[in-house]
Amino acid sequence: MKSIFGLFLVLAILVIIPAVEYVFAAGDEPGGYLDRRVVIWNLFYRMMTVAFTVGAVVSGTIIWLCWRFRESNPKATPTPYEKEGVW
Amino acid sequence: MVLELQKPRPIWQIMFSTHHTDVGLLYLITSLSFLFMGGALALAIRAELFFPGSQIIADSMTFNRIFTVHGTTLIFLFIIPFASAVGNYFVPIMVRYKDMAYPKLNAIAFWMIPPSGALIWLGFADFTWYATPPYSIISAPGPAADMWIFGLKILGVSSVLGAINFVVTILKCKHPDMSIGQVPLLAWSFLTSSLIIIVAIPTFAAALLMLLTDRLGVSGFFNPAMGGDPIAYAHLFWFTFHPEVYVLVIPAIGMMYEIIPRFSRKPIFSHSSGIFAFVLLSVVSFSSWAHHMYATGMSFTEKTVFMIGTLAAVPASAMHVFNFIATMWNGRIKFSTPMMWAVGGIALFFSAGAGGVVNAAMPLDFQTHDSYWVVGHFHLFVMGTIAFGSIGYLYYMFPYVTGRMYNENMGKVHFVMSFIGTVLVFFTQHVLGLYGMPRRVFDYPPIPEWITMNQIASVGAMIIGTSMVIFLINMIHSSAKGKLADTDDPFNLGGKYYYPFESKNPHHH
Amino acid sequence: MGHHSNWPEWVYVGVVIALMCWVGAEAWNAERLVEHVPADAEVIKVTGQQWFWTFEHEDGTKEIGELHVKVGKAYKFEIMSKDVNHSFNIHDYVVLMDAVPGRVNTVWFAPMEAGEHDIQCREYCGLIHYNMRGKLIIEDDSS
Repeated sequence: MKSIFGLFLVLAILVIIPAVEYVFAAGDEPGGYLDRRVVIWNLFYRMMTVAFTVGAVVSGTIIWLCWRFRESNPKATPTPYEKEGVW
Repeated sequence: MVLELQKPRPIWQIMFSTHHTDVGLLYLITSLSFLFMGGALALAIRAELFFPGSQIIADSMTFNRIFTVHGTTLIFLFIIPFASAVGNYFVPIMVRYKDMAYPKLNAIAFWMIPPSGALIWLGFADFTWYATPPYSIISAPGPAADMWIFGLKILGVSSVLGAINFVVTILKCKHPDMSIGQVPLLAWSFLTSSLIIIVAIPTFAAALLMLLTDRLGVSGFFNPAMGGDPIAYAHLFWFTFHPEVYVLVIPAIGMMYEIIPRFSRKPIFSHSSGIFAFVLLSVVSFSSWAHHMYATGMSFTEKTVFMIGTLAAVPASAMHVFNFIATMWNGRIKFSTPMMWAVGGIALFFSAGAGGVVNAAMPLDFQTHDSYWVVGHFHLFVMGTIAFGSIGYLYYMFPYVTGRMYNENMGKVHFVMSFIGTVLVFFTQHVLGLYGMPRRVFDYPPIPEWITMNQIASVGAMIIGTSMVIFLINMIHSSAKGKLADTDDPFNLGGKYYYPFESKNPHHH
Repeated sequence: MGHHSNWPEWVYVGVVIALMCWVGAEAWNAERLVEHVPADAEVIKVTGQQWFWTFEHEDGTKEIGELHVKVGKAYKFEIMSKDVNHSFNIHDYVVLMDAVPGRVNTVWFAPMEAGEHDIQCREYCGLIHYNMRGKLIIEDDSS
C-alpha cells in the first residue's frame, strides 16, 4: 500500500503542483491584447498531444492483446477456467 | 426458451403475451425496424451533404425534418427499446425469477412505443431532437411539433414504467440465494440505468408539458416575449438528457461485460469494480448537464463547476475499459462476431471519451460547440460504443432467440465494414468541426476542405449502409434457414460456460 | 475472481484522475485569460434575427451582414436576439456566443491582421439557418 501512496505523491509533484503553480503565476498580461486564437489553439494542441499519447497506449494495448491472446496464436494456452469448464 | 421460428406460433399470441421473452422479442423487432428507418435518414443526410448545394433533398425544411427524426428515432426508438429487449430477455433469467416483476406493466410499457413512433414519424417535426425554444414555441410548424411532443411524452412514461419494472425485478425478485453483489454485471447495468431514468425523466416530462402549453399560448415559461427564459428549458432538458447519455451507454457496457469474459474464456477481472464503476457513473451523471450550455452565457464559476462534474465521470468510465482489458489479458480469445463488435466498441469508446474530455475543457467549447466536432463526438458514443455493443450482443443472443446460428462470415464482414465506416464518418467529422462547419446545416459554402471532408464522411456512411444491408440479410435469412444452434455451446467455445439458458435456471418456464 | 490483487487498477485510476486534474487546471487557466475583457474594448451590439446579423457600433453606425473593424483594437460584442436562439460565430478568431432572446451575452476579441473572415450562425434557428452568414472585414488603421 505504501508504494501506491508513494506513486500518487510522485504524480502529484510531477503533474498537479506545476499545473496549479502555472495557473496562479499568470497575472494580468501587460501591453497589447491577448490573442484568443493562440490561447485556445495552444490548449487544444496540448490536449491533443496527451490524448493521442494515451490513445496510442490504450489502442496499442488492445491490439497487442488481440494479437497475443487470440486462440489461433501458437503460444495460446487454455485458461485455468477452461478445465473446470465454468467461467 | 424462445425458439420462435422452430415452434411457430400465431403472431397474436406473441403480441398479446406478457411473458418477458415475448415482450423482449417485440422490443427487439421494433427497435431493429427503427434502426433501419433512422439509418436510412442518415444516408439521406450524408448524400445531401456530399456536394454543396441541393442534391437529393429539395429544400432545407425537409432536411431539417429529416435530421430531427433521424436523431429522435435512433435514440428513443432504437437504442432505448433495444436495451429493453436485452433486459427483458436476460434480467429475469440472471436474477433467476420466472418473469419480470410486473408482466402486464411490462407489456404496457412496450405498447406505448409503437404509437409514439407513429406520432414522431407521421408528424416529422423540424426543431431538432432538442426542441429548442423559443424556436419550438414561435416558429416550428404544427401539428408536427405537437405530435413530436406527445410522442416523446409517451416514450418518457414508457421508459419510466420499464425502469420501475427492472428495479423491482432485480431488487425484490432475485433468487434468495443470490446476494446483490452476485447479480451479473449486465443486470447491474440495468439496475443503475433504470435508477437514472426514474430520477431524470420526470424533469423532461415537466419541460415537455410546459413547452406544449407555451406553444398553445396559454403560458410563457420559455417564451421571452411573455417573460419566460429559453435557458430554463435548456437546464431542464439537459438535466434529463445528460444522465440519459449514461442510460444509453451503461446497458451497452453491461452487454460487453457478458460478451468479453465469455469469448476470452475467463471470468470478468473484477466484478466488484464493475459494480462500483456503474454506481459511480450513475451518480456523477447528474453533475455535468450544463456542459452542453457553455455558450449560452454562463458565468465562469458555473462553467468551472460543470467542467469538474464532467471530468469526474472519466475515472469511472476508464475503470470499465481497464476491466475489459484485464479480462482479455491471459485469456484465450475466440474472435467470433460478438467479440469483434465488443472489442471494436471499447476502442471507439475510448476515442469518444477522449473527445468528450476535450469538449469539457471550457475554452475549447469556442471551437467545438455546435460544430461537426460535436456531431462526430456523440456519434462515436451512440454508434461506435452503444450500437457496437448492442449489435454485438444481438449476434450473441441470436442463437438464444431463434435457436439457429447467424452466418459467421457475414457477421464479420458486417463488423469490418461498419468499423471502417464509423471511423471514416465520425473521425472526419471531428476535423470538419475544427474547420468550423456548423451542425444542422442543409447546405454549406464551397470551402475546399469542407467539401473533401464531407465527401469522406459520406463515403463512410455508404460503407456503413452497405454493411447494414448485409446485416439485415443475415438476420432474416439465418433466423429462417440458418444452421441449428448447439444450444449448450453455440459459439463452440468448449466447456459449459454460462449462457443463460432455461436449463441453467430452474425457476424459468 | 477475488484472489488476484487489484493494485494495478487503482494505480491506473490514479493516473486517470491526475490527468483529469491537469485538463481541468489548464482549461481553467485558459478560460480565465480568454474571459478577461480589456477595459478599453469598444462595444459592438450584435443582434441576430431570422436569418441575418445586425451590428451597431459605439458611434451609432449600423451595418447589416457585414462588420468592419480595425486592426489592433479590442472589441466586445454584446449579443442579443430578436426572435429565436442563434449563435454568433467567427470561427477564424474562435469567437462563439449564443444569441438568446431576453439576454445579453458578451464575448470579446482583438483582430491582429487585416483580412476577411466568415461570420456564421452556429445554433439551429430554422429554415435558412444554413445560410445565416456574414462577413467580418478587418481593416488596417492606416487605410
